[in-house]
Amino acid sequence: MNTARYINQFARKSVFIVLVLAPFACQDFLEIDPQGDLTQASFPQSESDALLATNAAYSTLRNWSYHSGGYPIYDIMSDDALKGSNPNDQLPTLGPFDTFTFNPTQDGLDRWWASLYEGIKRANVVIEKVPEIAMPQASIDLYVAEARFLRGLFYFDLVRAWGGVPLITTLTPPLRAERASAAEIYALIEEDLSLAADMLPEKSELPVESLGRATRGAAKALLAKMYLFQGDYINAELYALEVINSGQYSLEPNFADAFGEAGEHGVESVFEIGARRNEGTNNGGNQYANVQGIRGSPNRGWGFNRPSVDLMNSFDANDPRMDATIIFLGEVLGGVETIGDGTTPDETRDANGNLIELETYNQKVWTEGDNTITSWGHNRRLVRYADVLLMAAEALNENNKSAEALIHLNEVRERARGGDAGILPDITVTSKEELRDLIIEERRHELAMEGHRFGDLVRTGKAPEVLGPLGFQAGKHELLPIPQTEIDLSEGTLGQNPGYN
Amino acid sequence: MKNILRTVSTSLFLLMAIGDFTQAFGQDRNVKGKVTSQDDGEGLPGVSIQVEGASRGTVTDFEGNYSLELQAGDTHLIYSFIGYKANTQEIGSRSVIDVVMEPDVEQLEEIVVVGYGVQRKSDVTGAVASVRGSDLTKIPAANPMQALQGKVAGLQVSSGSGQPGASPVVRIRGVGTFNDSSPIYVVDGVILSDISFLNSSDIQSMEVLKDASATAIYGSRGANGVIIITTKQGKIGTEATTFNVNTEFSVQQLAKKIDLLSGREFASVVNDISPGSFNNVDAVPNTDWQDLIFDTAPIQNHQISATGSTDKTQYYVGLGYFSQQGIVDKSEYERLTLKLNNTYQLSANVRLGNNITIAPYSQQVAPNVVYQVYRAQPVAVPRYEDGSFGAVQNVGNPLADLQYSNNFNKGLRTVGNVFTDITLFKDFTARSSFGVDLGYNKSKSFSPAFTVYNPDGTASQQQNVYNDLSKENRENFTWLWENTVTYFKKFGVHRVEGLAGFTSQKTTSEYLGLRGENTLRDGQDFWYLRPSYIVDESNNINTLNSLANGVDAGQYYSMMSLLFRVNYTYDDRFLFTGTFRRDGSSKFTDNNRYASFPSLAVGWNLINEEFMQGISTLTNLKVRASWGAIGNEKIRYNRQFSLVQNELNPVFGIEEALNPGGSYGVTGNPDLKWETTYQTDIGLEIGLLNQRLTGEFDYYRRETQDILVDLLTPGHLGNGQGQRVTYNAGAVLNSGFEFNLGWSDEIQGVKYRIGALGSTIHNEVLSVGGNSGVDSTLVGGYLGDGRPVTLSREGLPIGAFHGYQIDGVFQNQAELDAYPHDSQARPGDVIIRDVNGDGRITLDDRTYLGSPIPTFIYGFNLEASFKGFDINVDFQGQVGNKIFNGKEVVRPDPYNFERHVIDRWRGEGTSTTEPRATFGGLNFAPSSRFIQDGSFMRFRNMTLGYTIPEAVLDRISMTQVRVYLRGTNLFTSTKFTGYSPEFGSEDVLSSNIDRGIYPVSAIYSAGLNISF
Repeated sequence: MNTARYINQFARKSVFIVLVLAPFACQDFLEIDPQGDLTQASFPQSESDALLATNAAYSTLRNWSYHSGGYPIYDIMSDDALKGSNPNDQLPTLGPFDTFTFNPTQDGLDRWWASLYEGIKRANVVIEKVPEIAMPQASIDLYVAEARFLRGLFYFDLVRAWGGVPLITTLTPPLRAERASAAEIYALIEEDLSLAADMLPEKSELPVESLGRATRGAAKALLAKMYLFQGDYINAELYALEVINSGQYSLEPNFADAFGEAGEHGVESVFEIGARRNEGTNNGGNQYANVQGIRGSPNRGWGFNRPSVDLMNSFDANDPRMDATIIFLGEVLGGVETIGDGTTPDETRDANGNLIELETYNQKVWTEGDNTITSWGHNRRLVRYADVLLMAAEALNENNKSAEALIHLNEVRERARGGDAGILPDITVTSKEELRDLIIEERRHELAMEGHRFGDLVRTGKAPEVLGPLGFQAGKHELLPIPQTEIDLSEGTLGQNPGYN
Repeated sequence: MKNILRTVSTSLFLLMAIGDFTQAFGQDRNVKGKVTSQDDGEGLPGVSIQVEGASRGTVTDFEGNYSLELQAGDTHLIYSFIGYKANTQEIGSRSVIDVVMEPDVEQLEEIVVVGYGVQRKSDVTGAVASVRGSDLTKIPAANPMQALQGKVAGLQVSSGSGQPGASPVVRIRGVGTFNDSSPIYVVDGVILSDISFLNSSDIQSMEVLKDASATAIYGSRGANGVIIITTKQGKIGTEATTFNVNTEFSVQQLAKKIDLLSGREFASVVNDISPGSFNNVDAVPNTDWQDLIFDTAPIQNHQISATGSTDKTQYYVGLGYFSQQGIVDKSEYERLTLKLNNTYQLSANVRLGNNITIAPYSQQVAPNVVYQVYRAQPVAVPRYEDGSFGAVQNVGNPLADLQYSNNFNKGLRTVGNVFTDITLFKDFTARSSFGVDLGYNKSKSFSPAFTVYNPDGTASQQQNVYNDLSKENRENFTWLWENTVTYFKKFGVHRVEGLAGFTSQKTTSEYLGLRGENTLRDGQDFWYLRPSYIVDESNNINTLNSLANGVDAGQYYSMMSLLFRVNYTYDDRFLFTGTFRRDGSSKFTDNNRYASFPSLAVGWNLINEEFMQGISTLTNLKVRASWGAIGNEKIRYNRQFSLVQNELNPVFGIEEALNPGGSYGVTGNPDLKWETTYQTDIGLEIGLLNQRLTGEFDYYRRETQDILVDLLTPGHLGNGQGQRVTYNAGAVLNSGFEFNLGWSDEIQGVKYRIGALGSTIHNEVLSVGGNSGVDSTLVGGYLGDGRPVTLSREGLPIGAFHGYQIDGVFQNQAELDAYPHDSQARPGDVIIRDVNGDGRITLDDRTYLGSPIPTFIYGFNLEASFKGFDINVDFQGQVGNKIFNGKEVVRPDPYNFERHVIDRWRGEGTSTTEPRATFGGLNFAPSSRFIQDGSFMRFRNMTLGYTIPEAVLDRISMTQVRVYLRGTNLFTSTKFTGYSPEFGSEDVLSSNIDRGIYPVSAIYSAGLNISF
């Protein structure tokens, strides 16, 4: 019986202790942090964190939807290219860009919008948080300058595509944002790129393992481009010439290397997106070239963005750039004959028998290899030196310096000639109007299928004339529609662009 | 919270101080005697004898004898035993006190297990359904829930997959949230989310708690219902050990084949689409892939248990073995269960006990060849003449996939608790229970290098260049500590029960996965990951330098709760229950960490009123009503955190090196809080003709608010494309009526019982979104090609089917020209309704096509016995839901067809329902064409048994021997063309979509029960 009594007392006292003490013994019992993941409140904290954050802002450039929502729609919207692939493939997704029948619910636009703002957020993390880290001021300045370069780049895409958009420079933006004016966006881009141009190193100062990071030359080239889009030819000339006179760049002797694998990070590359021959963005690949690769045999991709008959016909006879730009059926590349896709007609004619589409592919994204994966390694050149030369030529001509303009224009033509004196003679025209058209035409041939044409036509006011037959309406199609999901989510604070309501 | 706890603790302390720490001194003396039952005059073992006003006492032994040491000042002894009226004796100068215990008719009433206690059925104010353990062993299934199909009104159990070891999906009273809508399980007091480890034979009873009055004591976890499971305990007073042996052998068989085309039929349809594909349709092979894949397969189920008690201990020891092979090769499940339930009466006031289940299991999972079989062309041969696998265009050879697939799981689940019950002093009992749920699971899967060749000798797409091996380890550990104090007092016509408790819990789960390629040999002996095999995908080389493909994740969370309940009964007529639980959880941040969940319920036993006494046909009449708020904490709580996203790596340099990057990922929502369900229930219980006819009727209305939903946010927030943020921004209503009717009687020696039950469900999304900046629809039901087929929005059921409405077939060009159509439509194609009338067919023309949730679920059953024979028949079914035949829709390539293609349009006037044959395209856009009626009635179970007469058994010293034959899923009446109209999907936005699942089989069993 004594045992029982002790048990009773022990039990009762235990109950007492448990009930009284348990709640107080576990003050932090309900505080559990996520396992294995950093929270944003604790990042970035060190110099190595700052590098991680800066690198992350670059990684947006390989995001599939960073490339205008996944497909090179600016080429498709121009007179240079058609949707491509077989007639039905992605017809609702891409067809409307050929015919200017896209509307605010058009697939892809929301992706592009979201992707650019994701990049802006990553840049803002660096711009806002890195200066608070205890680390050498020089490193802070460098990382912030890189982030501002990228933020300027992302906003430049936004303002060209949609005009005025929400201006976000903080990590805690409002849920509902108003659109800033295009001028306000341009002012931010100008500030970001100018600071970047001041603080970033020249390309030659980068160690080889850092090629692909933003440079002073890249920032200045983008500034020149931005001023061209604003019609500020004085500044465009200034910055384009600064890039030219920096001595950092020259043209690749071989035109194909200007965008091909051999010229990656080469002398002509002003800013390019590094990529590895691996499938998947996380593995270092970039799908930009894969969506445009040869469809069918040899299987190198999906076959979108098909060079147009109009583009072929626009090249001067014997301009070697046509063959370097377009893959024709039967062409042998890397020892493999291009046979093409069984579900794509070799040629398509209209009711009158006129050729309207020829099965061709974009050679500018072609990479030698034996499977679809190699094309993931294509380094897309966002700015190359020929573009800078032509920007300089254009600005100089507008500033009534046609003689100087011709020097830069003819430098590009000379390289295109490839040593064949019998073709592409130097241009000697000095009439401002005539020369303006010739420079834009030269841009078309030099930079075809690289995403420049539509913007060039819009900023020079040629779009209604050139693209009108394709469906372009002046006053509407200069800008894309604001994605409907964004308008819906904003509950009315975001207005639609003209003509899309 | 802290203040409440302090108050509770202090009060408990005071109570105990008064009750416990008073000790009297004086001359000890002994009293002894025998306690017998008034029924039969036999000695009663286990009777509790207590000194009034003190905590001392003892219990009777097997003969009912006892002996107790008395102290000075002891005046009365209280004798109590379950099922008997308590008896108080004045000690006086007696040294021998014999007591005759009078049975308490009232107490022999049906007892219902409720949360943290038991109640008389007549006192229950909530909607609680009880299922006897013997009902649970009527289905040969590993998971006890499968036996509940059609057994409880308002409970829907769907076994979606026939894969051995697959768990059914359980819903109580509709679908209450967009998130995890499954109930919780409370096994002997341990709260769990999965009971696949339990052996049905070890279960004494299951109680399904449906309304707020019953579930609110589980607070933040009870919103989707609670299923309380009590496992078998040793019976007091059965000195002799009882052994039970059950053994059952079953054979499973595919219940129904899908009607697909034969080789010849397929060839002629293909010739229709693409003329000249087959020169001679009579000469093509004819492979019935279903016949090749499905086979009969056995189930074995054996148990042995021993149960009994001594004067101080009760025990139940069980050992079970279950093994099931699948009707598809390479699928099987095997489980061993050890059950140890013991209680020890340490003293008159202190009882100690344990309930422990240890369940090691192993499983082999077949690849999804069922979908492959559905698609495989019948004109392909399974094997070439040399015996090697034949190539099957587009889908691969299912036999080869089976041959080369090896997926194994094995693990151990241990669930149990150790508890002690202490009678603190008169009317107060304390209980402390410490429970654990420990689960380890290891998976490994291996595929050798192989190639299936085309007939021309070239390699087909079905190949694996390097062998690959993947391994996963999961570990879950939960401990739960519950401390409660119960007060019970009966005075006059009042009965009061009070409960207060404090509980805490912590769960940690960790996961590790690794994948490798190119092991040295294919054999099992080489299924180990060595650094040289581990694939670094980013380098396409084998190295351990990067753990890019290794996943190592941990999830930890904890809970702390206070709970209170008061039950009050006045004169057995008026009943009142109030509960209150306050939960704190680490899943939420400070501001929303704690939440309170109250409930109130009243009942009126009309039958006990004076004015009812004259109505003799009526033997029970009770009305009850309840209201309460209950939570759901089964949510992805990590969404509150704003995390840093890693692997945002740019590529720099001539050498194209990946440079590590990381930045802010999706912004979390720190304001997340509990989902809360407000439930109202009104019930009526009735008994007629001396309880031969019983009925229970309920109306319920459950409204869930603050449902966590993942919503799109504006792009400018920078969360990235397609990324969503979780908000408390949804509301869902479920309402309906339930009934449960029973009739039992005996006619000329035939005892029988007929039962019928049913439940209506009205399910409606009340809102999605609602905050500014977030959207208002939820898209789900994604098919293999990424097309969604459900849309949940205000006014529609959860997971409502969404697609084009088909209005027939274009008969000719004129018809086509006269109506809006897709640019690719031709005569013979389906007419898609221009729902929004804009003259174009666009995605905006998709519309509501039906609900995956039945409007009525029902079951009925019959039991009868005559002499030694018994029969049991169960039916169950549902009405009013649709099934989306998703497996037919995804057709990027030419696959086999379902038979209806035979009646296709082949020219004007040939068909207005079945379009021309195509390999894919417009006619296979998700539409009403693929919506099928999901109503069914299933002949669930029929058992015939024979029990050998006692006279025979006595001679061989047995207490019971019964043999039986049983059929399960014998017949299903349905219009659905697939294998089975039952689909279990845990994702409520993707319910009832047939993507080609492992079919549930028909089962034939023979079994033997022996007790001795």
